[in-house]
Amino acid sequence: MGQGIATHNTPAIPREAASGRPWPLSFIDVAAQAGLQMHFTSGNEQSKKYIIEANGSGVAFLDYDRDGRQDVFLVNGSRLEGFPPGDAPTNYLYRNDGNGHFRDVTKEAGVGRSGWGNGVCVGDVNNDGFDDFYVTYWGHNAYFQNDGHGKFVDLAEKSGVAGTGKEWSSGCTFLDYDRDGRLDLLVTSYQQFDPATTPPPGKTSNCEWKGMPVFCGPRGLPFGKVTLYHNRGDGTFEDVSVKSGVRAMDGFYAFTAVAADFNGDGWTDVYIACDSTPSIYLRNNKNGTFSEIGTEAGVAFNENGFEQGGMGIAPGDYDNDGQLDILKTNFAGDHPNVYHNTGAGIFEDNVLRARLAVNPQYVGWGIGLVDLDNDGWKDVFQVNGHVYPELDAHSGIERYRNPRLVYRNLGRGIFEDVSAISGPAVQEKKSSRGAAFADFDNDGDLDVLIMNMGDTPSLLRNDLKSMNHWVKVELRGTVSNRGAIGATVRVEAADLKQTAVVLSQSSYISHSDSRLHFGLGSETSVTKITVRWPNGETEVFPGAPAGNLLELTEGNGKTRIVPMPK
Amino acid sequence: MRVALLVVLLCSLAAGASQDAAELSAQGQAKVQEKQFGEAERLWKEAIRLSPRYFPALFNLGYLYFTQQKFSDAEPLLRDAAQVTPNDFNSHYVLGLALTKLDRREEALRAWREALTLQPRNLRLIQVMSVEYSKGRYFGEAAALAKQALDIDGTDQNLYFLAIKAFQDAGDNESAADIARRAALKFPQSARANFEYGFQLQNQGKLPEALDYLKRAMNADPSYEEPFFFYGSLLLDQGQEEEAIPYLQTALRNRTDYVPARVALARALMSLRKWQEAIAELNKTLEMDPNQPQPHLLLSQIYFRLGDEAKAKIEQRTSLRLRREKPALLEGVQSRPFPESKP
Repeated sequence: MGQGIATHNTPAIPREAASGRPWPLSFIDVAAQAGLQMHFTSGNEQSKKYIIEANGSGVAFLDYDRDGRQDVFLVNGSRLEGFPPGDAPTNYLYRNDGNGHFRDVTKEAGVGRSGWGNGVCVGDVNNDGFDDFYVTYWGHNAYFQNDGHGKFVDLAEKSGVAGTGKEWSSGCTFLDYDRDGRLDLLVTSYQQFDPATTPPPGKTSNCEWKGMPVFCGPRGLPFGKVTLYHNRGDGTFEDVSVKSGVRAMDGFYAFTAVAADFNGDGWTDVYIACDSTPSIYLRNNKNGTFSEIGTEAGVAFNENGFEQGGMGIAPGDYDNDGQLDILKTNFAGDHPNVYHNTGAGIFEDNVLRARLAVNPQYVGWGIGLVDLDNDGWKDVFQVNGHVYPELDAHSGIERYRNPRLVYRNLGRGIFEDVSAISGPAVQEKKSSRGAAFADFDNDGDLDVLIMNMGDTPSLLRNDLKSMNHWVKVELRGTVSNRGAIGATVRVEAADLKQTAVVLSQSSYISHSDSRLHFGLGSETSVTKITVRWPNGETEVFPGAPAGNLLELTEGNGKTRIVPMPK
Repeated sequence: MRVALLVVLLCSLAAGASQDAAELSAQGQAKVQEKQFGEAERLWKEAIRLSPRYFPALFNLGYLYFTQQKFSDAEPLLRDAAQVTPNDFNSHYVLGLALTKLDRREEALRAWREALTLQPRNLRLIQVMSVEYSKGRYFGEAAALAKQALDIDGTDQNLYFLAIKAFQDAGDNESAADIARRAALKFPQSARANFEYGFQLQNQGKLPEALDYLKRAMNADPSYEEPFFFYGSLLLDQGQEEEAIPYLQTALRNRTDYVPARVALARALMSLRKWQEAIAELNKTLEMDPNQPQPHLLLSQIYFRLGDEAKAKIEQRTSLRLRREKPALLEGVQSRPFPESKP
């Protein structure tokens, strides 16, 4: 193999003739005019000596002040040589002031930590109605608790979730794995990284790419681990990694972690994308333990049994059959996975049949299964970017910066590449990593926030010109955790039956709008909404007219229309 | 005057040593003819001791070691030979071969580049270099050399296959397809040429045309397993499991130890929920090669679907262990079994 990353030199699969169906949307990058002007730092942007410089970071949409508008949190990295005092880059929190503008509130909110940040996951940990969030680092992790008045306090040490400080943590997800109504926390680490013991570029066969000396790894470097913290309910967490069984796993480089009930048994499971090692599917054993069944369930490898360079995850029901499927992005020279859930959490990789195997030339990172045109079928948005900036100085066809990809869902589990007709911001070439999805301007369509290496973020506004209808669903747990993380929602509108799940992390170590967005096509109302709460109970809510945000509170059986500010 | 005398003396001594070395080297050569390799080795060593830069002894002893697979011993002798007589093709060439055996590909390629400047139309060398460049993931260089070989001799179909693979590896599918098209036109009765073009056509999205050329390949040589396997695999990818099975079975009749075909057949049977038949095929694969991780992986999935999680876990662990022990094995088996060029 002779390379540090799982790749297979896989050719693109043939494209079918274009469907010719209208695609009435265009993405425009409005980040600068919206005020998102921070700069992402992730090592040297011309040449990367160590793998820590290559993986970038996540981004988050969240409504931290509960004003009905999605705010933005951006995780920032660092560089190996450090910075003069006061110059180190920090994370950024931008408050959505409405009318398409964001204001930097990093300092006043108290979240401007510097360091080598990676992923972010969001959840209302203390069930006070305000979202908190956790940020992973190479070093001690941060747990920012929201005081409900626009300020956050890092309680990681005090709560017992800071980690050892030696890990390079990457993914994280809040989840209620024991159904006690409190959010627990799962943290993945990519590897035990130490520059002092990591070979320099070109040193071994794991330090080259197509004959070019590059940074080493991940193969050949020490593996990562998974840590599970149980929420005691008193503001502290207990490390239950050993007794839950997650510490028994070894031999992986873990990234994004997604918590959802994949096998439909009413208990929250976890899927973790792993780089160059088998990906992980932790089935909840309903007794405080997990079993790793990725291989058996068909989500550890591709359909040919190859390890892959797994990065981002988009869970969702792409064929509207009521089952949660999993899309996963991978390294270049490989296809993404379209793990179709055949029922009870058993999967088949349908990437060829889904026609998503047409762009293996890119390293895929953030990905969303999101209905971009509101037709009732979830489309795919993927961001890309190679890991070796040195490619730009070589004569090969690979480049560090790549365009984004958009695939429309044609129904029947088949997609079509519409990147070329999705607007100028999709064609723009960046080396992107994290991506999050939300209707930040509350205009009824989904927009995209993107982390770009060594660059400013992108905020892709979806200018959809369509008569299609939509609803958004926001859950309020009462017995279950307040944000209902892990809940599965089924929305019915005539023949359309769509399923989605409330997530703490997805895409590439990022967090998207917790309000679930459903396109309805020509349907002007939903007839029924069924919620499977994280505590396993199922509740049916009445329908409502399209064009609204619907708030569903656990146990009251009522569908409440909530106004959405512009 | 004294200095001049000393120079004359040294020159005559050197000439004498060289003459002795020549005699010893010739004797060594004679001993090789008599298959007295130990004696030949002794004579050449003595010749080199007398005249460390005496080319025939350096090369012959280096070559002897090479043929005896003593590559570490051969390398310094061949390197010296190439240095003493830089215009000698064989010393550069054999040095490259020895370095390849020592897993020092980059150095081997450097030696061969010297050889290539001496014989730029040496097809054997060009083919060897292209293959090694490809193995070292220098795909651009491999493709350029393969094209050079094809430009020199357009009548050898093996050179077309070499070039197809090289361009394919380099990501230049357009050139690979064009060369495959030319091969199919030039060698219409060749199963392999038709197969290669069929393979390239499906890469281009021309599935019906691809299937047509694969059929031509199957008709041209019904005993050639690869087109049957690939035809079946394409049908499998299209979700036509029932239709795929007969082709995969023919591939296996043609070559019973064809692991990828048997794994593909098992996958088709799994898609049809024919669990026991799939288990039987996978067990047959493991009887042939128990070290293959992929059959264990599929067995773990079957047992899991049948509700036997304990058995599934055993297979999963075996698959993972084998995969970690020999990662290259899986990559080789699962990737398209492109036959290596045999220069």
